[in-house]
Amino acid sequence: MESWRKNKLAFSVLVLPPTAWLVIFFTVPLLIMWVYSFAERGPQGQIYLAVNFANYARAIEWIHLGIIWKSVWVAAISTAITFAVGFPLAMGIAFAPTRWKNLLLLLVILPFWTNLLIRTYAWIAVLRTRGFLNFGLEWLHDEFSAFFALIGLPDVMGEFQALELLYNQKAVVIGLVYVYLPFLVLPIYATLEKLNKSYLEASLDLGAGHWRTLFSVTMPLAMPGVVSGCLLAFILSMGTFLTPALLGGTDSEMIGNLIARQFSSSRDWPFGSALSFLLLYLTFIILWVRASMASRKRGPI
Amino acid sequence: MGGTFFFLYFPIVSLIAFSFNDSKRNITWQGFTLRYYEKAFENSQLHDAFLNSLTVAGVSTTVSTIFGTMLGLSLYRFRFPAQGPFEGMVHLPIVIPEICMAVAMVAFFFTVEMPLGLTTITVSHIAFSIPFVAVVIRARMAGFEQSLEEASYDLGANQWQTFWNVTFPYMKPGMVAGALLAFTLSLDDFVITFFTSGPGSTTFPIKIYSMVRFSVTPEVNAASTVLIVLTLALTAVALVIQSRSQRKIDHG
Amino acid sequence: MNNFSFPFTRRRFLQGSGAAAVALTFSGRGVSAQEKKLNVYNWDTYIGETTLSSFTDNTGVQVQYDLYANLEEMFAKFQAGNPGYDVIFPSDYMIETMINADMLVELDRSKIPNFKNIDPNFLNPSFDPGCKYNVPYMWGSCGIGYRKSKVGEVDSWKILLDDDKHSGRMALLADQRFVIGVTLLYLGYSANTTNPDEIDAARDLLIKAKKHLKGFVPDSGQDMLISGDVDVVMEWNGDVLKVMEEDDDLTYTIPKEGTVIWVDGLCIPKGAPNMENAYKFLNHLADAQVNAEVANTVHYATTNKAAREHVAKADLDNPAIYAPDDVLKRSQALADVGDALPLYDAAWTEIQAA
Repeated sequence: MESWRKNKLAFSVLVLPPTAWLVIFFTVPLLIMWVYSFAERGPQGQIYLAVNFANYARAIEWIHLGIIWKSVWVAAISTAITFAVGFPLAMGIAFAPTRWKNLLLLLVILPFWTNLLIRTYAWIAVLRTRGFLNFGLEWLHDEFSAFFALIGLPDVMGEFQALELLYNQKAVVIGLVYVYLPFLVLPIYATLEKLNKSYLEASLDLGAGHWRTLFSVTMPLAMPGVVSGCLLAFILSMGTFLTPALLGGTDSEMIGNLIARQFSSSRDWPFGSALSFLLLYLTFIILWVRASMASRKRGPI
Repeated sequence: MGGTFFFLYFPIVSLIAFSFNDSKRNITWQGFTLRYYEKAFENSQLHDAFLNSLTVAGVSTTVSTIFGTMLGLSLYRFRFPAQGPFEGMVHLPIVIPEICMAVAMVAFFFTVEMPLGLTTITVSHIAFSIPFVAVVIRARMAGFEQSLEEASYDLGANQWQTFWNVTFPYMKPGMVAGALLAFTLSLDDFVITFFTSGPGSTTFPIKIYSMVRFSVTPEVNAASTVLIVLTLALTAVALVIQSRSQRKIDHG
Repeated sequence: MNNFSFPFTRRRFLQGSGAAAVALTFSGRGVSAQEKKLNVYNWDTYIGETTLSSFTDNTGVQVQYDLYANLEEMFAKFQAGNPGYDVIFPSDYMIETMINADMLVELDRSKIPNFKNIDPNFLNPSFDPGCKYNVPYMWGSCGIGYRKSKVGEVDSWKILLDDDKHSGRMALLADQRFVIGVTLLYLGYSANTTNPDEIDAARDLLIKAKKHLKGFVPDSGQDMLISGDVDVVMEWNGDVLKVMEEDDDLTYTIPKEGTVIWVDGLCIPKGAPNMENAYKFLNHLADAQVNAEVANTVHYATTNKAAREHVAKADLDNPAIYAPDDVLKRSQALADVGDALPLYDAAWTEIQAA
């Protein structure tokens, strides 16, 4: 890292255009919402500007904190599974022959170019009680039963029981893993891609096993990508609302649904803004704690 | 990896299967038909919506990839005052709930009297895509050996040449990954797009979300299938061309 | 209350209940009235197949047809201002809300001669007395769709709200006003109550009923019904009707306690750039032939009496579309509940979190 003073021209050319865009077309609009978070709701959802903290007081009521906590859990579990599924995939693409890399990347992202709603409906068709997955399992079950009957063991398999895969938290997690997989895979891929394959070969040649190579060579080098990817998947899962609404059961409401409702059927922009900013403050506290812990580990510079 | 691809494409296969289903509802198999492809090809509203989506996604991906790369590069590269808060601000669009940003945008555009339409949609898409690209670029740049750049300077190259010949090629895979994310985000966005759209700027997601109320027909599945097949075909062509030119270089 | 002026706006302020409301009304974009254009904002496929082309043929006006996916989001957008739309299709309570928020144009009836075709039953709705702001369009109901062979006859909301016979085989809509509304009706209250005790009673009943539900589903109850995931759902009549066409075992009923009905109306939002063309369009859709073509396409009940002569007989005779008169008398349309809406929101949050 160099100080911006050493190279003022390069610094301003790089930083100013994107920053200007973000400030004008994001930060300023967001300030309006911040002002709204202190406002009062009118009878039809009008916004009466005021300075009151009632919206924040309501936002930190137990019931809302409970919903936030539940969302954190669901997001954490789905991020962990997304990582378990996504890391090997990212590694596979990064270490594939050069000419296949871009094709594989495209194949990973292609399913996400069909509309989210259509994809989610497709998942419903797969997971429902009489969906493709249960049909497949039932077929397997019948084949095995027939096989056991043939070798003189009828009834070992019993009656086929369809799996209840939809309208519960499991379905929400599956849906979230599916929706946010590329947001985890792509940053990890971008970091791993530069890893020289020869490092790994050297490690293997030196007698380190595959697992040891993975944990002591690949993982540490991939860390920046892993952190970014997991954070993206986690934050995006936290704010989701379509997946729990369509795949979830009667207790799957997440904080994203609650916030979305304030801007639609409950017509309470001030409360919706307060909830959004509460989420924002919490995220920054977490990131700040993480940063200060990381710097303490490194010691004073 | 094979298992993951199975997971990725399982619902897509179901989606494609239902595009041939002779039923208005995507539930039970009622027989084979191509009539939804005919309908999708005839539906000019669907084409307009598709075209709007592709236009927005194309422009927003290009601009946000460039801006995001610049931002990611400078965050990795420079030390400057208030860097922490600045980074926080840059990443806000990822953290803030989509609907909150959507309402903020529409309030803002009305305040500055910018008429809603494809322009306002694109402007907003660029804003929320920049941080995603920046995150990927930063992850890519971490661990970049600055000695390479120093070597380039030592060899007499100036700043621009060094960037173009050393840094840029190194960043490229990160840019590809970032651009793919930006394109996907833009193509699939409903909430922010809906709020920032005006007369004549209905996009594909808006069309689909609105359809759900009265009739989701397999027409949409047919249109999605066409998009998937087209992308795959174009990729195959690109691969063939690439390998041919590669062979020429090898033999040339 | 400590009000201060909004820093970004140069627009006028509305005086409302002693507080200065931020009225981000659209100031018009100076589009000339002569332009042969019209911007319609509506649901997808909520008109006839030839409605727009016949309008262009008759008047020479080109229609730009844009879509919304949710009335509340449409309203949220108009809260910032009118982006340039001339005609919108809100429902009952939304019409009332938009009137109260000063977003709709009071209609000049002399420019809509076909208004005479509207069924007198719909001319004095609670949400817009005298239809000063809307031309009634289509109407429908929210009732119970069910599988006859599994549940027999259904005549009460009890089966969904207060019964465990079909535990795990039922679903409700994910719409807070409609779900709490029918629960209030079942309990003998008004679907538009602003009494916190009555809303709490409905909430408690729903929390109890929730254990037996598969989910609160957004507009996909009919799919769950036909796929066999559930046997009883609360759904819109039009949606259940579509699956009834594919499965004889399914049917639709409006329970004896009555239900919440919806009535959509055509409105002109304030700030509409092509006002004259908007009136022409309203008149066009109130024409008997044109309106009948819409009804025959969307299979919802029309409020246009003259159009019924041209509506398919099968639809007219179908009680799931044209509910018997006594059902209408027992039912209620949603109203703008104003300051009580946060009570409904809080109740809904507790139901979801319980």
